[in-house]
Amino acid sequence: MSSATGRRVHSAAWRISLWGTVAFACGTLIIFWSLHAFVAKDIQRRTDAWISGEVETLSDVAERTPKNALYGRVVGEVAELASREVPNREPGTAGRNDSVFFLQTAKDGSPVLWAGEGNGTAYLNAIRGVNAKPDTPFDLHVDGAKRPYRVAEVVIPDGSRIYLGLSERDELRMLHQLREHFMKLWALCVLLGFAIIFYTTRRMLGDVRRISEVAAHIGESDLSRRVPTSGWNDEIAQLSSTLNRMLERIEQSVHQLHTITNSLAHDLRSPLTAIRARLEIVLTRDVKEQDAESIERAINEIDRLTEILNQSLDVAEAQAHALRVEPERVDLEQLLDGMIELYRPCMSEKGLRLEFSAGQPVEVMADAGLVHRMIANLLDNEMKHLPPARTVSIALRAAGEFAEIVVEDDGPGFSPELEGQLFRPGVKGSASRGYGLGLAFVQAVAGAHGGAIRAENREGGGARLTVQLPLVAHAAASTEASAGVVSAD
Amino acid sequence: MQLLLVEDDLEIQTFLRNALTEAGYYVDAAADAKTAERMAMESRHDALIVDLGLPDQDGMVLIVRLRQMGVNAPVMILSARRTVDDRVLGLEQGGDDYLTKPFALAELMARLRNLLKRNVPAAEATRLRVLDLELDLLRREAMRGERVLNLTPQEFTLLEYLCRNPGRVVTRSMILDKVWGMRIQPATNVVDVHIYRLRGKVDAEGLPPLIRTLRGVGYVLRDR
Repeated sequence: MSSATGRRVHSAAWRISLWGTVAFACGTLIIFWSLHAFVAKDIQRRTDAWISGEVETLSDVAERTPKNALYGRVVGEVAELASREVPNREPGTAGRNDSVFFLQTAKDGSPVLWAGEGNGTAYLNAIRGVNAKPDTPFDLHVDGAKRPYRVAEVVIPDGSRIYLGLSERDELRMLHQLREHFMKLWALCVLLGFAIIFYTTRRMLGDVRRISEVAAHIGESDLSRRVPTSGWNDEIAQLSSTLNRMLERIEQSVHQLHTITNSLAHDLRSPLTAIRARLEIVLTRDVKEQDAESIERAINEIDRLTEILNQSLDVAEAQAHALRVEPERVDLEQLLDGMIELYRPCMSEKGLRLEFSAGQPVEVMADAGLVHRMIANLLDNEMKHLPPARTVSIALRAAGEFAEIVVEDDGPGFSPELEGQLFRPGVKGSASRGYGLGLAFVQAVAGAHGGAIRAENREGGGARLTVQLPLVAHAAASTEASAGVVSAD
Repeated sequence: MQLLLVEDDLEIQTFLRNALTEAGYYVDAAADAKTAERMAMESRHDALIVDLGLPDQDGMVLIVRLRQMGVNAPVMILSARRTVDDRVLGLEQGGDDYLTKPFALAELMARLRNLLKRNVPAAEATRLRVLDLELDLLRREAMRGERVLNLTPQEFTLLEYLCRNPGRVVTRSMILDKVWGMRIQPATNVVDVHIYRLRGKVDAEGLPPLIRTLRGVGYVLRDR
């Protein structure tokens, strides 16, 4: 059971940490994405401002410089100088001039001047393919170049056009670096966040698990245990102390109840003895037949009352784990044979058949007196509830480390209303005349021996009760605890 | 026969004393251990009936003390405890007996008679005879007059028990204890059915019935 609880807590901690981390990761991603967009936009704005300014300068120079043999060199120099002031430039590529190009075309679109890498044909072709708005920088994708260029265009009065292009390589590289850094830090943060959430939830749920483990144990046996409390004054600690206060009250009430029922049961014995004996004395004298009958009925009622008293005390005691068990080697087949021999005539009188089958000899460590009473309860139960002309079959077998006594009948079976509470004291079918103590006692006895009882309806109709008692070889450990318990009587 | 009755509940003490006196016993009654000790010293008793819950001392302690003082009469222990005390069980093996409250008066009487009889060791008989009923314990055979009774082994054991207590009341729980070896209180009439069947064979038609039912108490095998 604890491993199942462990798994559940484990998965709950996992689930909480997983969802927490996903939320955290998504949030940081959105923030970064908007930041990234803002930075990219700003870089482009600066680039645009720079190339627009430079192209203006270049157009001034081109306009003023006489169109002679030196024109190309002068403009080329200026373009070259401009390219050295490129913003966001990657250090180490200073000598290379592939980040900037300068192109002047004549009115008819033929190239006049080219400064940059190669002969500029590819650039010219690319520019011809673009339908750009004047005075607005645009992106230019050149065949053979890895990165696009940001290009500004200016038309000078003689009709020729000047283009200044700046590779977006550096800009993209910077953004790439930014992303890379972010991804590394982001992964680290997410991992750290996950670890922190997982650790804290697991610790908290661990407290909850310990509380539930103790609470489950309290339900099974003693009420004196308390759930663990942590030093913190958080909600879980409050839960613990609330539970503990509740347990305190329950323990007190149960203790009171035990004291009351015990003394009540003991105190009732003396008057019952007196009443019974008085009635018996009257009966031995000469009384009228009519009176004798009433007196006998009264005696029977007293015996029934005594039976209820004893059995409810037995059940209470067994459930409080205070049943006196004196284990000895018991041959179950022999014991059952005796019981069946005792019950068979009475059952056949009621039209019930009683069958018994046993395989190999089965020996258990058990208190023979208690097992007798347990079997008597089971058989009494069958006799009380079965309609005539039915068969009760008892089978004895060894299954694993247990001896199994299987009591089956072909009667109406257990009514569904009793499902899951057959073994609770006071629970009985609506048609039952009993006190609902029989099966509770059987379960208590089986439990005191380290065994168990199972009840189910058979597939073809009818009820099946399976009582398990530990076999001799396996009994030592399980009965040790019960044998040591001495009645608090 | 002189008995010592130690019982602190005066009501129970009174009717037990009356019932026992009526049955022909001389009864000394004490309500506490101190008085009981004095009475045991003053005269010799054939049997003691001791309630365990005494006001001044535990009944078991009283019994042990009396034994030390040389009182060796058998003891019938009365107990309000449901579970039988180990010490009581130990004593029972030594020839004493116990009853838990509430008990049937007839059962107390029957057990008391057994207790007193036990004190006188009888020669182990091989044949039992009650009126015209005869049991051969070696051959496990029963005869009523000249007719052999066709009994199952269990029925024979039951009849043997009745024959060993002729004219005395035996209760259902005594039968369960001595014949089946079980201390159970069945909620159904399992013992009665066995008796009915046995009666069907023993008290055949035309014969005077031997097995009598005392309703609310138990059964008696007639011996006169």
